[in-house]
Amino acid sequence: MECLREQEIVEAIANGRWPHGCDPSLEMHASECDVCRDVVTVAVALREDDLSARHEARLPSAGLVWWRATIRARAEATRVAERPLTVAQGIAGASAVGLAFGLAGVAWQSVQRFQRVGEFIAGLDASTLQFASESAVMLQRALPLVIGLGACLLIAPLAIYFVLSDD
Amino acid sequence: MRDMTFSEIERLGAAVGEADEAFSMDEDSFRVFYERTARPVWAYLSRMTGDARLADDLLQETYYRFLRSSGRHENDTHRRNYLFRIATNLVHDQRRKPRADRVELSDSIETLDARPATSVGNVDERTVRRLDLARAMGRLKPRERDMLWLAYANGSSHQEIADALGLKRASIKLLLFRARRRLANLLREPGA
Repeated sequence: MECLREQEIVEAIANGRWPHGCDPSLEMHASECDVCRDVVTVAVALREDDLSARHEARLPSAGLVWWRATIRARAEATRVAERPLTVAQGIAGASAVGLAFGLAGVAWQSVQRFQRVGEFIAGLDASTLQFASESAVMLQRALPLVIGLGACLLIAPLAIYFVLSDD
Repeated sequence: MRDMTFSEIERLGAAVGEADEAFSMDEDSFRVFYERTARPVWAYLSRMTGDARLADDLLQETYYRFLRSSGRHENDTHRRNYLFRIATNLVHDQRRKPRADRVELSDSIETLDARPATSVGNVDERTVRRLDLARAMGRLKPRERDMLWLAYANGSSHQEIADALGLKRASIKLLLFRARRRLANLLREPGA
């Protein structure tokens, strides 16, 4: 599995001394030893292929490789730095949407209440007109509340945006 | 996209500074190291993937990962071994990709074989030997190819091969012996 002279042969091939620049006994040994014969066959072929691959390589300059690495590192660092901002914006957006739905729910309930009042008024005969006028007054008083809720619906997301974006 | 606030720009500026500092060596040291190692690394990537263009991409990726690594290296030999370990991992990742996305070593050999007979007749002996080697390497297991290249083309020691391939040092001797015997037989009898 291993020969004591194997390393000598590997070094001779790696240093370009094989077969003529090395000890002649080494070449003779390689022709007789199974392990070393395999080593020579494989190492000579791979060494030659390695040299030709190195020769054909069209490498980018060190400066270009460094520059590309710098650009990429910066892009990654920017992405990492932006991550907390994106998270904060996501939370703000989700809160705004939640708030909007909440307000819409409240507004919807008010509208339904007014609808019920309207139906009640329609069911009344002429003798109860006084009560109807009272209901109309009540509806008039509730109108600012509805407008206020609508305004909140519009302003809340903007307010959250300005608070978070200018920290 | 919305405009950035001043505080965001300051924060991103700091991140850019951190990116430069995140490299494991300065530019001058990198240039020296690159000049010494790029050709053998490219040769390794090129022969292990069978695709010169892919080797170009992987070379850039290898050095990028090396620069971003946080490990401290005692000397140039350690740095070089670490570089080959990264390259080996990238080659392995490439092999794990779906077949349509990658070039098989045997495919690149088929392309060479498909050239007209007249042009094959004109190529020199060295090219024929190279073709035989590529064909024989294509019949080995990927790990055997890596091991043989590192041992005999790159001159790596058993410990260095074990480090690069993530194997135990004790198993390298036997694995290398078997791989060498297989390749030697394939090279002696190309038709086998």
